[in-house]
Amino acid sequence: MKPAPFDYHAPTRLDEALQLLAEHGSDAKPLAGGQSLVPAMNFRLAQPAVLVDLNGVAELAHVTWGRDGGLRLGAMTRQRVLERDRLVADQAPLLAEAVPHIAHAQIRNRGTVGGSLAHADPASELPAVMVALGARFRVRSLTGERWIPAAEFFIGLFTTTLESGELLVECEIPPPPARAGWGFEEAARRHGDYALAGVAAHLELADDGRCAEARVVLFGVGEGPTSSPSARDALLGEKATDGVVGAAAAAVAKDIEPSSDIHASAAYRHYLAQVLTGRALGRAFARAGAVAGPVP
Amino acid sequence: MIVEGTYSFTGRPQAVWDLLLDPTVIAKSMPGTKELVRTAPDRYQGKMQVTVGPITAAEFAVEIALSDLEPPQRFVMTIDGTGRFGFTRGRARVDLQPENGGTRMAYHADLQVGGKIASVGQRLLDMVSRALLRSGLQALSRELEERLAQDGRTEEAG
Amino acid sequence: MTGAAGWIGRSVPRTEDLRLLTGRALFVDDVHLPGLLHVAFLRSDHAHARLRGLDVSAARRRPGVVAVYTAADLGDYWRTGPVLVQPVPVPGVVFHAATQAPLVRDKVRHCGEPLAMVVAESRYVAEDALADMVADLEPLPAVVDLEAALAPGAPLVHESLGTNLAAHAVQRKGDYDAARAAADLVVSRRFRYDRGAAAAIENRGIVASWDPKSEELVVWDTTQAPIPIRNGLAQFLGLRESQVRVIAPFIGGGFGPKIMMYYPEELLLPWASLQLGRPIKWIEDRQENFYATTQERLQIHDAELAVTRDGKILGVRDRFLHDTGAYDPYGLTIPINSQCTLLGLYDVPSYESEFTVVFTNRPIVTPVRGAGRQHGVFVMERLLDFAARGLGLDPVEIRRRNLLPPEAFPHNHQILFQDSAPLVYDSGDYAPLLERAVEMIDYERFKREEQPRARREGRRLGVGLVSYVEGTGIGPYEGARVTVQPSGGVRVVTGVGTQGQGHFTTFAQIVADVLGVDVGGIEVITGDTREFAWGTGTFASRGIVVAGTACHEAALRVRSKAVALAAELLGPGAQDLVFDGGRVSVRGSPDRSIPLAELARRANPLRGAVRPGTEPGLEATAYFGPDRGSTASGIHAMIVEVDPEAAMVAIRRYVVVHDCGRVINPQIVEGQIQGGVAHGIGNAFYEQLVWDENGQLLNASLMDYLLPTALDVPTVEMAHRETPSPLNPLGVKGVGEAGAIPTGAAFAQAVEDALDDPGLEILEIPLSPNRLFELMQAGKGADA
Repeated sequence: MKPAPFDYHAPTRLDEALQLLAEHGSDAKPLAGGQSLVPAMNFRLAQPAVLVDLNGVAELAHVTWGRDGGLRLGAMTRQRVLERDRLVADQAPLLAEAVPHIAHAQIRNRGTVGGSLAHADPASELPAVMVALGARFRVRSLTGERWIPAAEFFIGLFTTTLESGELLVECEIPPPPARAGWGFEEAARRHGDYALAGVAAHLELADDGRCAEARVVLFGVGEGPTSSPSARDALLGEKATDGVVGAAAAAVAKDIEPSSDIHASAAYRHYLAQVLTGRALGRAFARAGAVAGPVP
Repeated sequence: MIVEGTYSFTGRPQAVWDLLLDPTVIAKSMPGTKELVRTAPDRYQGKMQVTVGPITAAEFAVEIALSDLEPPQRFVMTIDGTGRFGFTRGRARVDLQPENGGTRMAYHADLQVGGKIASVGQRLLDMVSRALLRSGLQALSRELEERLAQDGRTEEAG
Repeated sequence: MTGAAGWIGRSVPRTEDLRLLTGRALFVDDVHLPGLLHVAFLRSDHAHARLRGLDVSAARRRPGVVAVYTAADLGDYWRTGPVLVQPVPVPGVVFHAATQAPLVRDKVRHCGEPLAMVVAESRYVAEDALADMVADLEPLPAVVDLEAALAPGAPLVHESLGTNLAAHAVQRKGDYDAARAAADLVVSRRFRYDRGAAAAIENRGIVASWDPKSEELVVWDTTQAPIPIRNGLAQFLGLRESQVRVIAPFIGGGFGPKIMMYYPEELLLPWASLQLGRPIKWIEDRQENFYATTQERLQIHDAELAVTRDGKILGVRDRFLHDTGAYDPYGLTIPINSQCTLLGLYDVPSYESEFTVVFTNRPIVTPVRGAGRQHGVFVMERLLDFAARGLGLDPVEIRRRNLLPPEAFPHNHQILFQDSAPLVYDSGDYAPLLERAVEMIDYERFKREEQPRARREGRRLGVGLVSYVEGTGIGPYEGARVTVQPSGGVRVVTGVGTQGQGHFTTFAQIVADVLGVDVGGIEVITGDTREFAWGTGTFASRGIVVAGTACHEAALRVRSKAVALAAELLGPGAQDLVFDGGRVSVRGSPDRSIPLAELARRANPLRGAVRPGTEPGLEATAYFGPDRGSTASGIHAMIVEVDPEAAMVAIRRYVVVHDCGRVINPQIVEGQIQGGVAHGIGNAFYEQLVWDENGQLLNASLMDYLLPTALDVPTVEMAHRETPSPLNPLGVKGVGEAGAIPTGAAFAQAVEDALDDPGLEILEIPLSPNRLFELMQAGKGADA
């Protein structure tokens, strides 16, 4: 399993990287953590003529406060850094809870936030988490910059709204609102496997304890992160009861279209999605109700 | 691998039939088709390159043969695609029925996928085939509507 | 004979580990020779196809490519391999031999069969060249379903045979029909045990180096059988055995497939090296391993058990199909093992077992850790479980009632084992094993308190307890040479290879015990045909029994030479000698002693005369060949927790009570068991080679072929009992495969116990959450 021949560039600045991508167009692939791209190259299923290695572009890796709280994550931030960073645990606990589920520590040592999001594997955790958090992404090209809400970024199987020559450079996660709750559940055969099904849930409660906002985003059960408007409808305006949680969990079935493969049938995934949603929402409500003020 | 389903077109069965049997239309609509030419009545040859996420180098040489033609209602298509990363072979039955002024197409395909694509791409095969098919059918549908619109204008003009 | 030092039975830390853990051990891929070339193979994408043509001209022209070989280029060297294991002479046995060729000439019979070999400056260029080749393959319908393969009109894997039936044999004892008629309950089921890979951490690899000037061929090979490979290569290439040296260096796990011999690559690399006069290397990558290395173990059993209302076994009848893949070079070893191991620890008065081996369009099946024993155990243990349920008996109780009593040994089961000798259990004491396991897993309290309490809390815990008997330590023979060096160090050389079993330590312990030297002063050499010329290989849990005993015998001969010489040198009355600390002394008179090193020097005089018949040095060679294998036994017990909502299963506890006869090194035995259990858990719950109806493998990567990780395997709680084997002087029995054998049966019993649903029966391995979900849904459907 040796890759086909390729040309290799290792820019040290973002504008250099963007220049290379613009120049080579579809012949070039950016290399981030390499945990998805390199195996595909070793299998020769991917044969980019040009690799633009982003690992030397220092300005792309950072974890900082957002403008009004919240987080700004550079695209080349390693997943392992997210896992251990106090700021992330503070400002985006849903993210902190999800990251340890990504593969294994060794892979997270190399894998990056931006790489995972741009790759948009339907079974991956980060896209769903970003959509649940209401994040938005800053995208740069030679000609300029634009912001894309996470909810609009993922449009199909391994497909994002990134255009040729564009790079995802930063994720912005809004600060956690008062009375927010979160839950993350994933079912996998072994620790670190691709998810059979998973869910990232974000809730906000009003002062009277009723659900004011809900984002229930599933993964592993469709072509990308799959928001469940039906679950949202079942939650808005409701208080946390077993009945409400059960109804929302059952409702996700309407919004997902899982596939079958050798590990799980579509029927089993459907079923798992509901079980996991129920568990995630239970935890989310508990966390939201546990404190009256801002989330610690 | 079984791929089956239905799809509704806005044109009548004859219009859909003509569309489906036109290699230039198929070439435009099926994602990744680089060329498709008719080599004999009911036989086509071409090249396809499938790009899905990390898989960018899956090139296939395809041969398609049509048989059991009962215009404009049904036909059978046998597909033979080979590439460095595997092959796909199979048979598909396509049925066209009039429905609400349009056409309801029912398809049932039994595809054998082999080689590297099958052995490392298993997790994605179901999803990919559905996505490619949906994309192709949507493109065909758009093509049909353009044609109908054009025919309409031609009729008006004529 | 235990020396004063008492090395036997000690958990001596493995002597080889420092080298292995600090990266100073040579594996095949570490071999670098000047001018080394690299190999890649073009392999078939189709499982069954006629090869109409193969155009390699473009590949030959690619810069960096040195040669491309197809079947046509081999000329007279193209021939099919030998049958490695003659079929066990069961009366009436039918066996159709069909073996593999080095490169496909006319017809492809499984995915991954090699079509062409590229030799190039690097593996990268070799793989580039594969893309230049064009194979014209005409696909044929594939043979995959075992029953359909035997039906009239099925496509044939080997047209010349006119059938897909590879073998058929029936073994009987007693009278099953009478047993059935007399039974109070007959339980019958169909069981399915699916294919898995050995998945050693190191894939196969070969470096072949022909030196045209010295006319010597050296081959480094990840084989478990270096000596037979040397002999076969010499014959194949028309060389003298002395011109060929095969080295099996440190090997990252064997588990069976590396005992398969004359793989295409094993013949082609040396042949090509002779053609080119240059050293050549091939290292199998993981994806190739799924196709190019043998695997195991699909069987379908229709079995029934006849019992009395007290749960006593009257008889068993089993008819099964065994998938051998496209060829059958390994004879009947696996299905015979299944037949024999089914009998287990139990008194089975009547038995009728019939198997049919079937050719299919899948890679060759040869033994993988357990080698068919798992299947027999699964069938018997499951039948007992269903009989217990039918009779209202506890699963442990029904086993208790059928154990062979200690006075029953040696127990002749009358049917033939894989070594072609009657299956005779040499020694064993089963009831204490069972009771110890029951005690360790706290069975009574679990059923009485813990399980019901968990249920009330909404948790589903279950216990499984199963048993096995494993035939080990079979012949034909192995040999060893022990030499005391003039420096005082001791050199032990044997013909077997080592793939991580700890031979370097255990063989040293055996010799240390006899000669009274420290294990640290003993060098053990294995796996090099230049060092030792006679032997068969490491397989079937026989290393310690056969090679270990040979080491023991050779050490004893060295000791008696030393005794004779020491008696001369130490003067009159030096009868009772003690070997300790590297010295030989008169018992009770420590001042009358002489170092073993000195004896070795004196035994090799440069001048003077010796008595006629004296052999120089303190060196001896001995061979050992038992007339039959010894039987190890054990009980596995596990507690699982099933998440009834998500259909996920977690293992809470795993207990093994084990009897492998005399234990040389407890830590190494525990390592073997822990590793075996990990292997068993993989087979039972994670690993399944998924072949589709066209013979395509759908999971040829470790992403989709799931091996349990350290996070998925519990630490096994172990207890040992020893019933020494009377068949060898050390009293040892084999242990390499034991851990892997009954795990499937334990899983099935434990999960059923957790769910406690009579409508839910686990009749297949592997189990997966997806499959459990289906079974649970089906159960619900049946009730509704």
